[in-house]
Amino acid sequence: MSELVESETSPLGQPRSGGPVAMRLENVAVSFNGRTAVRDATFDVTKNRVTSLIGPSGSGKTTLLRALNRLHDLTPGAKVSGRILLEGTDIYRGNITVTELRSRVGMVFQRPNPFPTMTIYENAVSGLRFNGIKKKAILDEAAESSLRAAALWDSVSSRLKVTAGQLSGGEQQRLCIARALALDPEVLLMDEPTSALDPIATLHIENLMTTLKSRVTIIIVTHNMQQAARISDDCAFLLMGEDRAGELIEFDATEKIFNNPADSRTLDYTLGRFG
Amino acid sequence: MNVAGLAPTPDTGHELRAEIRRTSQNARARRVLVSRVMMTLCAVAITLAAVPLVMLIFELLQKGIPVLDTTFFLKEPQSPTLLSPNATGGVSNAIIGTLALSIYASIMAIPVGVLAGIYLAESDSKLASVLRIVSQTMAGAPSILMGLFAFSFIIQDLHIGFSALAGSFALAVLMLPVIAISTEISVRNVPQTLREAGLALGAKPHKISLKVVLPTALSGIVTGVILAISRAIGETAPVMLVIAGGYTDSWKPLDPVSALPLTIFMNAKSEWPSLRAQTWGIALVLVAFVFVLSLTARIWASRKQKVGN
Amino acid sequence: MVLLPDLLPQPEEVAEFSSATSSRSWYHYLLIAVSLLFTLVSVGFVLSILLKSLPTWAHTGTLLTSRVWQPPNGPYGGLAMIVGTLETSIIALAIAGVVGLGTSIAIVFLIPRRLRNIVATFIELLAAVPSIVYGLWGFLVLAPFMLNTVDPWLNSWPFAKEVLGTSGQEFGSSLLLAAIVLSVMILPTFVAISREVIAAVPQDLIEASLSLGATRWQMIKDVVLPTARIGLFGATFLSLARATGETVAVALVAGGVANMQFHLLYPGTSIASWIALEFGEAQGNEISALMALGILLMAISFSLSLVSRWLVNRQRKLLAKV
Repeated sequence: MSELVESETSPLGQPRSGGPVAMRLENVAVSFNGRTAVRDATFDVTKNRVTSLIGPSGSGKTTLLRALNRLHDLTPGAKVSGRILLEGTDIYRGNITVTELRSRVGMVFQRPNPFPTMTIYENAVSGLRFNGIKKKAILDEAAESSLRAAALWDSVSSRLKVTAGQLSGGEQQRLCIARALALDPEVLLMDEPTSALDPIATLHIENLMTTLKSRVTIIIVTHNMQQAARISDDCAFLLMGEDRAGELIEFDATEKIFNNPADSRTLDYTLGRFG
Repeated sequence: MNVAGLAPTPDTGHELRAEIRRTSQNARARRVLVSRVMMTLCAVAITLAAVPLVMLIFELLQKGIPVLDTTFFLKEPQSPTLLSPNATGGVSNAIIGTLALSIYASIMAIPVGVLAGIYLAESDSKLASVLRIVSQTMAGAPSILMGLFAFSFIIQDLHIGFSALAGSFALAVLMLPVIAISTEISVRNVPQTLREAGLALGAKPHKISLKVVLPTALSGIVTGVILAISRAIGETAPVMLVIAGGYTDSWKPLDPVSALPLTIFMNAKSEWPSLRAQTWGIALVLVAFVFVLSLTARIWASRKQKVGN
Repeated sequence: MVLLPDLLPQPEEVAEFSSATSSRSWYHYLLIAVSLLFTLVSVGFVLSILLKSLPTWAHTGTLLTSRVWQPPNGPYGGLAMIVGTLETSIIALAIAGVVGLGTSIAIVFLIPRRLRNIVATFIELLAAVPSIVYGLWGFLVLAPFMLNTVDPWLNSWPFAKEVLGTSGQEFGSSLLLAAIVLSVMILPTFVAISREVIAAVPQDLIEASLSLGATRWQMIKDVVLPTARIGLFGATFLSLARATGETVAVALVAGGVANMQFHLLYPGTSIASWIALEFGEAQGNEISALMALGILLMAISFSLSLVSRWLVNRQRKLLAKV
């Protein structure tokens, strides 16, 4: 494995924790039809930690996150430049297909989006089925394991055959997390996963993330600074530049970003002076 | 993962992950291939769909344009003879007949359709819900049935005879539900706040409906009316049973009249190649008419929408 | 477009504010009077045809059982027309459904976004082309092509003559040709609706499936089509309704022969086209029998329209929940 070597040459000075690198971003920029939406993103995502992307709206947090899963492939005119390395492999130009990438880098979206025509069980194993796993024993085992990991098993084990639409919003979001976890991804991308949820459901998800990080590296976009402070270990702060393109202002341990940031704009933002 | 009994031990969890990795790795190439094949088939499907439709347009232009001249538009039809096999005359009588039919049908259908549509949008009575089901069902009824209705009612019961009136009655019955439905939708799309503003100013409800709601919904209503007319113009089945057709050149409501689509139907099987060729011209005129009307309606609707927003 | 009234957004709750109907003004009474008139016309539409058809149901009663149509004294059997209608519209639907579904998928997921609106507009325009034009094209272009090229080729297959019948009919008119012309005709209708239904599947479900490693086809097969399925059934039934009710195109290309015919290369007829072809010559009894055929057609059309409306409403509710 090459990650140990790579972490020694972390692009932004010291590696945050000295731990192995799960994903490395080098000068990543995303543009739509020639208009840059985000640029200059360079940082390392350390394994088994929660990395948060924060910044005001328009700063390109979500755009950057979606680049890590190649979801911009769907958008005509979208272009991703720079390098994004997953375990040392360039995910855009390296020896990895987009379907393999997506099975190794999972995604949880802003709005809970379980497949409405599938049952809870079918939702939980949908990723496995997409990836060609058909054996019932494996599916059953993985469904239970991932639903447990998403802290959903106890409440749904008796009704696996009902459609996912009958769950509450918070349960739906946990089902989406379980669905992503079933594939056992190395990295889990979360795009404001609690913005559509009530405070109690939000708390559940936040607790869940803290438990999950031993199993999967998490990158979360949030516009809720308290949330970033509570749950993340590392933090990237983005801001919209003068040409309306988002830029990475600062990347550091969360504690440092919130208590003693290097850039005054970071301080202004975390103190709530704008945004 | 570590509840007693059923739960897998961490060790089997590891095996599970390994098996998942292996299986998905092995299945990947095949899945991508299947996807490519199926998407290619979809591309084949759109080509298959386009071929006859493009061919149709091509034939229409290629065979229709040469037929269109002043004789076609201005002269009455005549029967080709062995001595002058190309003397088909024109179709001015059918143009007049079609215009007459659609004007009479519009006069009958537009007021009733629009007012019924307003009623559907603004009332929640039993009558409205019945009428809504009725109009949606009528909108899907085969057009030949309108012809049967006109024959049974106008010709058999009222003894009016084969006439423009009977034909336009059939077309009006065809247009009614289309106009009513599109009017209902346009009126419903008028923002509620506009009405409330009027009410707050103390205006009488029917004044609001006439002075505020209708002008705002007008573009949508006009769009629906244009589309209904364009559909009526091309219809053959409802009029063929009741207007007599043939070489008549009248436009009067109580006379038998001719119509463009009906002329196509009658001449397509003619033994004279010149008459068969002429039908392409009529078809081109009909299609051009329908396209122009539909596009006008669309452009109107989108332009008004922009202004409205 | 107006040809798809069922798919247009229709607010569920009726506006609480009923400006025109709450007050007892002349306007209110005018609206009610006109609506009653409309209802009356619709009731008259059904009753008038039904009453004229009564003699046939009462006296000969053979409409649903006999295959012989013998004016002026009967019997009037509709079996040939019923079977012909079923054969042509089901084959047409099978062709248009498969090709149309692929077309809709290609429009939504394959062709560039900029072209998408142009193609959609073009297809909706084609749905508005008068059916007589499709009939003319079928009769003057497709029929000779079938007669000279396709039919002999089909007949060169083993057992084809026994199953399809032999070609060489006058003009090339046949049930198969009618089915093909119908499929070309209903394709724009089917695509116009199914494209809309497929495009309405929420983007976040599509992204969710792709983010789980699904290929494009898996995304379509396992997420998009199941989510859109009820609306797709609706599109199918509306297209079937259009095919069964089509009159002049079939009258031009099917051959207009009232034989119950299972050999698809032989000429046949359908309910609607038979009414159109026979009406000119019909007298007395036969008019009543044709009215009875009309009632049959009405029953088919109304039930198809009810089913499709029910399906489309269910699809709308399903998507509202997502």
